[in-house]
Amino acid sequence: MVIQLENVWKIYQMGDIQVPALKGIDLEVKKGEFLAIAGASGSGKSTMMNVIGCLDLPSKGKIFLGGDDIAGFGESKLAQTRGQKIGFVFQQFNLIHTLTALENVMLPLEFQDVDTPTARKKALEILNLVGLGDRVHHLPSQLSGGEQQRVAISRALAVDPEIILADEPTGNLDSKTGEFIMDFLSEIHRNNSKTIIIVTHDFYLVKRAERVVYLKDGEIERIEHKPKEQGGEFA
Amino acid sequence: MKINKSLKLAVNIIVHSKLRTWLTIIGIVIGIAAVVAIVSIGEGMQQNVESRLGGLGADIITISPGGGRASVGFRGGHGGGMPGSTATSATAENLTKKDVLVLQSVEGVEYIQGIVSGRGEMYYLGEKATVSVEGVDPLVWKEMTTSELESGRFLGPSDYNVVIVGGRIAKDTFKQPLTVNRIITIEEKAFKVVGILKESGGFGGDDNKIIMPIKAARDTLEDVGSDEFDSITLKVANTDDVDPIMEEADKKLMISRHLTEKEKDFRISSSQSIQETMSDITQTMTLFLGAIAAVSLLVGAVGIANTMFTSVLEKTKEIGIMKSIGAKNSDIMMIFLLNSAIVGLVGGLLGICLGTGISSLLPFLGMRLMGMGRDGMTTVVTPMLLIYALLISIGIGMVAGVIPAYRASKLKPVDALRYE
Repeated sequence: MVIQLENVWKIYQMGDIQVPALKGIDLEVKKGEFLAIAGASGSGKSTMMNVIGCLDLPSKGKIFLGGDDIAGFGESKLAQTRGQKIGFVFQQFNLIHTLTALENVMLPLEFQDVDTPTARKKALEILNLVGLGDRVHHLPSQLSGGEQQRVAISRALAVDPEIILADEPTGNLDSKTGEFIMDFLSEIHRNNSKTIIIVTHDFYLVKRAERVVYLKDGEIERIEHKPKEQGGEFA
Repeated sequence: MKINKSLKLAVNIIVHSKLRTWLTIIGIVIGIAAVVAIVSIGEGMQQNVESRLGGLGADIITISPGGGRASVGFRGGHGGGMPGSTATSATAENLTKKDVLVLQSVEGVEYIQGIVSGRGEMYYLGEKATVSVEGVDPLVWKEMTTSELESGRFLGPSDYNVVIVGGRIAKDTFKQPLTVNRIITIEEKAFKVVGILKESGGFGGDDNKIIMPIKAARDTLEDVGSDEFDSITLKVANTDDVDPIMEEADKKLMISRHLTEKEKDFRISSSQSIQETMSDITQTMTLFLGAIAAVSLLVGAVGIANTMFTSVLEKTKEIGIMKSIGAKNSDIMMIFLLNSAIVGLVGGLLGICLGTGISSLLPFLGMRLMGMGRDGMTTVVTPMLLIYALLISIGIGMVAGVIPAYRASKLKPVDALRYE
């Protein structure tokens, strides 16, 4: 069990009113699983991604990441957990636009105090893997959307995390490029046996996953299991 | 994250906001340059004072007639006289042979001489000039003076109508330079030049004086009584004893002249005490001017803080990204602190260059400060000044950056990521 959510609540204070975004979520994610969290906007899927990704702490409940309850973590422990266990892929790519592709991929390694030659070697390796070996010194602005997202995925993979968290990873890409990125994520899932969680409202993406958690109004509406082969078939 | 990585990211931020960064840096450059230039003026004045007073000799104590500090109150109380006037006034009696005898009994005094001085008209090869004349004890003077001979000899015991000429009079006063063995006329008496002094450059030296035996001076100068001296100088055996000997001499003179503290009619000073007073004045002045310059530094610091706040705001999203990929609060704090420290460092470096430049140009502007000397103003930039200036500017950068950097570090990753 790589992730375990126990009665997780997230309540936002809006002036005098309390707005619950997550209402008592219970969920377990197995190691190496390809999970999709689906739901309309306002369903709480982004909040769920934030708490799973250690970007935010739940108001109530427990979140176990590899056995530790992150609710008790301090700021620097949370940052460390994010840096070592989780790789983020965002809809907006979220690359640092003043750094080159290579530097962007090296950055998470540097936050983990990996020495520069090692970080560089690792980053180059991954960038070659995603087919950007000849564009490593380009700035994000000099890359296409698909290329930027591949850099972002490389960055997420750099620290060799257990979990890849992708928030609408194809949302800013045309369908063909999106397809390519999803193929790529599936391939990582298969070859590197990483746990992949994608958060999306796109039902086409959902089909790729082995299991889909549908969220509605901060609660789990239903969970859909798919045979593993089916997920592979689309890949 | 290691410091060199944070530094790299800090530099990256600076490189990508050139214009704003440069504008901020200019603020610091002006402040530091102003401080460096002004302090260099102060240091220059200090050195000026020291070199010019050097001519007096550290081991010489001078007693001259006239109101001391205490007598100002005395005269003021009587409603007349000029407070603080230092010239010989009605209440001040000239120094006499008796005073010399009294001072001789002070322990630790090596040499003592009474001096008469005045101004006289001097003729040389048809040219006329008014010069200061000093009548000295021929034997003692050569032991006490700090002046050196350029040519000729010092005064001897049997000399009468011979003079030694100060370096500047010999060289600059007349069209034809004065040399040894020339005859000059002072107050219609003929004198033979037996020695020319080297120029010392300082005040308190003998550059502008004619030195002659005291007997000749009494006969030549007007208004000089046969028993009186215009000043008495002591040379102490050991320089460290200057202060206690001054006190002792002061006490003995008061007693022998039957004076109370209020009636004191002589002044006693050493080159050390003068130097200390002058140093105090220049230091106070430097401090005052430096404080004014520091105001511009303060403005520069506010500029840095302002820029940093803008920068943090602008980088909010990137801060969120960095946090999401594992940056700790301390990493973010370090990046932004280094950012503002670099602004301070660059500003400081350029500031000390500009300040040094300005300070080296100041003397050429022909400005004279505190009426110091013919050479105009001198400025001195010491390495310590530059090091301090640099440290201060880096310090200012970091202090100004603390709050923005702290704010950046405390941003919640979720909120920061959502920022557009």
